[in-house]
Amino acid sequence: MDPAERAQAARARVPRIDPYGFERPEDFDYAAYEEFFSTYLVILTKRAIKWSKLLKGSGGVRKSVTDLNRTFPDNVMFRKTADPCLQKTLYNVLLAYGLHNQDVGYCQGMNFIAGYLILITKNEEESFWLLDALVGRILPDYYSPAMLGLKTDQEVLAELVRMKLPAVAALMDGHGVLWTLLVSRWFICLFVDILPVETVLRIWDCLFNEGSKIIFRVALTLIKQHQEFILEASSVPDICDKFKQITKGDFVTECHTFMQKIFSEPGSLSMATITRLRESCRAALQAQS
Amino acid sequence: MSRKKTPKSKGGSVPAASTLPAAANGPRLAHPRTARPGPEAPPNGPPQSGRPSLGGTGDFYDVAFKVMLVGDSGVGKTCLLVRFKDGAFLAGTFISTVGIDFRNKVLDVDGMKVKLQIWDTAGQERFRSVTHAYYRDAHALLLLYDITNKDSFDNIQAWLTEIQEYAQQDVVLMLLGNKVDSTQERVVKREDGEKLAKEYGLPFMETSAKSGLNVDLAFTAIAKELKQRSTKAPSEPRFRLHDYVKREGRGVSCCRL
Repeated sequence: MDPAERAQAARARVPRIDPYGFERPEDFDYAAYEEFFSTYLVILTKRAIKWSKLLKGSGGVRKSVTDLNRTFPDNVMFRKTADPCLQKTLYNVLLAYGLHNQDVGYCQGMNFIAGYLILITKNEEESFWLLDALVGRILPDYYSPAMLGLKTDQEVLAELVRMKLPAVAALMDGHGVLWTLLVSRWFICLFVDILPVETVLRIWDCLFNEGSKIIFRVALTLIKQHQEFILEASSVPDICDKFKQITKGDFVTECHTFMQKIFSEPGSLSMATITRLRESCRAALQAQS
Repeated sequence: MSRKKTPKSKGGSVPAASTLPAAANGPRLAHPRTARPGPEAPPNGPPQSGRPSLGGTGDFYDVAFKVMLVGDSGVGKTCLLVRFKDGAFLAGTFISTVGIDFRNKVLDVDGMKVKLQIWDTAGQERFRSVTHAYYRDAHALLLLYDITNKDSFDNIQAWLTEIQEYAQQDVVLMLLGNKVDSTQERVVKREDGEKLAKEYGLPFMETSAKSGLNVDLAFTAIAKELKQRSTKAPSEPRFRLHDYVKREGRGVSCCRL
């Protein structure tokens, strides 16, 4: 087929009005557009096939997920009486993900993340792929059975606090507090149920865009902003209590200024530093076990 | 789930252990106004003002202990804790516990203020590597299963292995079969729980966070045992956790829910 014929054929197949309602201009390159779109269609189709296979595959696996009715019981769309009830959607997404990524399976915390994705996208398949982007690519091994990535990042945060907020680090050391006690939920739930919804979503925008480093920025900002308050603590329960309180109030509700702060307050935080700290912390953890 | 079996020989030496000295993890006596805040001892400050006290710090007490709730995911650990702490059960409003959390409650035990710092843990197996670091500081462990979930009962042995590995030798341990209000869905018989408890020498009770059955009793029994261990004068009669639980515990048979 010569180029003119190809253009003609493409013109016949591609609608004159685009999906957004705009009429295509006279000089619109139908052939180039069709070629671009057909490449993308392949990806979409592959995803759709994969998704439907996972759903079908999950038919045989009736696994009880005890967390279904323990995910956002305070959200009307997740109630058993809701129609449609998002518990079913959540079940499908989590079950499909467990089949898709068998090294991870299901880890508590993923229910909250998938739950948010479902609330935002209102779409099972999209939620699934976004969950895959987070768990499979963006977050470094937080949810696998050994949870090594999670433990590593908690140690990395401890190191960053040691570097940037030594007084807080000294307080922790003095009381023998393990960081996991204070921040494991921050990492595992990606601030869901910890910070206000709008703030969480703004953080997630950055997380998808810039990667897991954002979690450290948020954590460091929360700690730095409330450093004096935290330093008032005189016992382990006191410290725990303060760490719960610093995730509440105006500072985190004002999500716009909060997002500006996370890029200014912690100061420089290069990926090279994070990578180096992750390597050394992981090695230390592996040597321990 | 595949877990290794517990060697039975090491089972339970716990309940009658009130004569044991308070070992390395002995109770932390906190003397009001004079106690220095050590790494583990919550000091006895004045009640905090203004802010809601999530951890419930700032209560006055004579002696403080750490109690940990353990057991499979979904057996009702958080519900049991909330029932004990606040006397409430709000069906379907609990979210799954991720990681580890704690709440305090001060009990009056024979005229002494006993503060229980109760640690609530995520039940999922993979979180154990995160939570077992806290076992060694626990003075008591409440091990829960769900009477409507056979797996949670079958996993008790694996939990006991875990406890033996990470908890202090003289830790006070109690087995609880929770959710007895769900009579229709029961799959673990009371006798099975009793038999298992006997095998390991553990005090045992069936509880319901929903109705409140035996919830206060379980924590009170723990508090009495711990208080007794920490303060007992040689002449004082020994507190017998086993007998206390047997005497005070109410079975479902005598208490229609």
